[in-house]
Amino acid sequence: MHIQELILRLQRFWADRGCLIGQPYDLEKGAGTMNPLTFFGALGSKPWNVAYVEPSRRPADGRYGENPFRVYKHLQFQVILKPSPAKVQDLYIESLEALGIDLSKHDLRFEEDNWESPSLGAWGVGWQVVLDGMEISQFTYFQQVGGLDCRPVSAELTYGIERICMFLGGYDNIFDLVHGEVKTDDGVFPVTYGQMRQREEFELSAYSFEHADLDLHRTLFEAFEKEGWRLLKDHGHFLSAYEQALKMSHTFNVLDARGAVSTTERPGIIKRVRDLACACAKAYLEHEEGVATPVAADAKGGAQ
Amino acid sequence: MSATQTFLLELHCEEIPARFLDPLTRDFSAAFTTWANGQGLAVTNLEAFYSPRKLAWRGAGLPASQPNQIETQVGPPQRMCVDEAGKPTIQGEKFAEKWGVPFSAVRFEQPAGKKEPCAVVTLTKQGRPTAELLQEALPGLIASLHVPKAMRWGHSQFEFVRPIRNILCLFGEQVVPITVDGVTATNTTWGHRLFHRQHSEPIRIATPAAYEAALEAAGVVVSLEARRTRIAQQLDQLAAEVGGRVVADAELLDTLAEIVEFPKIVRGDFPAAFLELPKEVLVTSLREHQKSFCIEKLDGTDLLPFFLTAANRVDDPAGFVKAGNEWVLKARLYDARFFFAEDRKHPLSDRLEKLQALTFQRELGSYHAKTGRVVALVKTLATRLSQDEAHVNRALEAARMAKCDLRTLMVGEFPELQGIMGGEYLKHEGAHEEVWKAVKEHYRPIGADDAIPGTALGCLLSLCDKLDTVVGCFAVGLIPSGSKDPLALRRAGQGIVRILWDQGWPLTPADLIQASLNTVGAKATKPTAETTEALLAFFRDRVAYQLEMAGYAGSVRRSALATGWADLADLKARCEALSAFAEDARFASLAQSAKRIGNILKDEMPGDAFDAAVLQDASETALAERLETLEATDRQVTLLTALADLAQPLEAFFNAVMVKCEDPALRAARLSLLHRLRQAFLRVADFSLWQ
Repeated sequence: MHIQELILRLQRFWADRGCLIGQPYDLEKGAGTMNPLTFFGALGSKPWNVAYVEPSRRPADGRYGENPFRVYKHLQFQVILKPSPAKVQDLYIESLEALGIDLSKHDLRFEEDNWESPSLGAWGVGWQVVLDGMEISQFTYFQQVGGLDCRPVSAELTYGIERICMFLGGYDNIFDLVHGEVKTDDGVFPVTYGQMRQREEFELSAYSFEHADLDLHRTLFEAFEKEGWRLLKDHGHFLSAYEQALKMSHTFNVLDARGAVSTTERPGIIKRVRDLACACAKAYLEHEEGVATPVAADAKGGAQ
Repeated sequence: MSATQTFLLELHCEEIPARFLDPLTRDFSAAFTTWANGQGLAVTNLEAFYSPRKLAWRGAGLPASQPNQIETQVGPPQRMCVDEAGKPTIQGEKFAEKWGVPFSAVRFEQPAGKKEPCAVVTLTKQGRPTAELLQEALPGLIASLHVPKAMRWGHSQFEFVRPIRNILCLFGEQVVPITVDGVTATNTTWGHRLFHRQHSEPIRIATPAAYEAALEAAGVVVSLEARRTRIAQQLDQLAAEVGGRVVADAELLDTLAEIVEFPKIVRGDFPAAFLELPKEVLVTSLREHQKSFCIEKLDGTDLLPFFLTAANRVDDPAGFVKAGNEWVLKARLYDARFFFAEDRKHPLSDRLEKLQALTFQRELGSYHAKTGRVVALVKTLATRLSQDEAHVNRALEAARMAKCDLRTLMVGEFPELQGIMGGEYLKHEGAHEEVWKAVKEHYRPIGADDAIPGTALGCLLSLCDKLDTVVGCFAVGLIPSGSKDPLALRRAGQGIVRILWDQGWPLTPADLIQASLNTVGAKATKPTAETTEALLAFFRDRVAYQLEMAGYAGSVRRSALATGWADLADLKARCEALSAFAEDARFASLAQSAKRIGNILKDEMPGDAFDAAVLQDASETALAERLETLEATDRQVTLLTALADLAQPLEAFFNAVMVKCEDPALRAARLSLLHRLRQAFLRVADFSLWQ
């Protein structure tokens, strides 16, 4: 199946089940969770279902376009369902069937995999979804985002687009995947992932491993942080301030890929990103619902 | 009394992490049993079941109702409850009122422990129906289960390991309709996901006894044991089909049994070219990444290019499960081969300097510093154990290289291959066999079930590495206490003792502590005397545990350990010798006499010499005669035989003689005789601790 067909099917499937179809956020980020549609959407009490594709950058995973499995940038398909529906696993399974996976012939398992993003002050519990031995999705019940308890809890489903495509087509090289077909008066031209992305992988890998100006990035990190706090403190603007936190996070990833961050420095730097992100989350909730923290109830109060 | 009933509870959840299944079922079983006993409801045979989506318990033998409970309440003395005219006093009436009975129901008896007759009432507390008690208690018992990583879901305020989606709860054939977080129990549950693709209705469980069979029909084998047995059978059969045998791994077998509801083992293959990777790398990569078993040749040497993994279904009709796992595995093995090739581009020794950037422990410094200390320790001990200079040099070489693999890509990916990779890389570089083998095995024994290194050099390196860890940590105040031992120092200490025990080297724990403290030097933050004392106590506990593990009887362990443990070879010899007499009745008598001797000598300070001529009784001269042979005997077994033979004469002596008699000369001689006998005993064991 072509990459674009997979994305279209997922969008159709989730739109039909009451999700808004969102768009990627136009800033560099490491995962779809960082998109404000998820980061802020998972907070507060309002119902919120959204699905979107997010190109995700992981500078340390860059392999110059030479490794058949690993890339600097990959596509995540992200679904947020708030509150998590009682039949959320069944919904997810139906979405696989919508991709043409006949589960009566495959082995599908949900294996424990808890998710944590220290730079977003977020964590959840859940599984990696394993199809015939291959991890194809991440399934998380958010417990906290931006340091705040999620009440109600959202379910987050993240599909690894390229992986699923490779797996379904039996491809041994990510760059051989077909993105789609260009049809012109002159004929039909299939376009591969490699044609679209391999040069980009090469340049972005070279950038993060060789050419990125480390001093500039250190300066940028400080500047984004200062800018973020100024926006939040002087103006109460949590959305523009959150963008600064995203920029800090990516700047850190570039430095990290170069080995420019020592293990002792690491937690301190991540904490600086987290502090700003958490402050944005708190400001968002105050703005939206007039409370900083959802009312805490007895943890075990549900049993009767 | 009506017939007993069986209780069944099943929590059907979204996939529960495998590691929590066993603890959760155990915890609930314990809590349920405690509760039931407290209610006077004895449960016979409480069984627990679990699968990835189910936690279930079935308890037989519960009565339909609680037995009636008869209680006796004792009140004030009779004289205060009844006046002289025989009428009830105000106090008497209040007592009856308190227990809700008319005064006529109050009796006057003298209960045990009271000096006079008191007011007594007997109350019968009507037993309640068991189903009603279950209904009340179960939600609380479920809610109070301790879940280490609990979660909330949807709007729930309830926390549990994973969302509860269905509850089945029966008492006999009757539903106990408990409600937990909005889910109310019924007599139905759900089978395997694949089963319900064809069957939209839930499964009805008519009686608790029908539980396993009904679920099996719906594609779920709910007993862990049954799943494990079926997996083990398939593993063996599929390995035999390709002329090999499974590389055993009990933990992996448990894992596979825990992650599937219906166990189907699939055999896949991988390109034979990957067999150039070390066996340990393949086994680890397959286990860690794909939860797969390897197949080895029947002689246990090389691997065959096959793997075995579990699928959560009955069959693999289209071969998708096999193909998918093969595809993933190939990608993983490409990675492993990449690491193996990259790591060998530079000699292992290149990593020595890079160990400076790797912290071992904050106060004790880097792995580079640790390597320096271990090299120094190996030098001290190797020169004591061997005159062969070449051997000593090889020991030093192994010590220098031991930690280098911590900076290789492969160990970065698979930390459990530490040591093993260092050994493999050295082997490829053409290092001496003694050296690479020592490096490869120097983390062993990894646990109580693991063997110690197979070579003397490996044992020495392992001992020095562990010794540095234990002594170093004690010297900076990191001492295990109670259940807290985050650095696994007890395990390391046990490894040291096992190696000494096995190798029989003439090194005492005190020597080792001293040598290691010298190398730790100024890094120590605690006074040396304090550290040494703590370490001696620590090692004594490890030695005591070693004796237990070696299987000696309690009598042997107690009495042998009490007379010294510095020389482990000697301790071992004494334990061996004593064990031959563990069931000997004469030793029981000897123990009695030894205790008596101990008591008699408690406040005495007798000299060694005595005049045998002073002794009068035949029983005491007989003892004195034996004393000399006893003292001259060196071999443990002969000595013990001699001691056993002494049991009867000693008994005779204590029957015939009063040791502390009036005659000062005779008394002194008898005390000296006993003192010297005791000294002879203590060469082997403190028999006063025999029983």
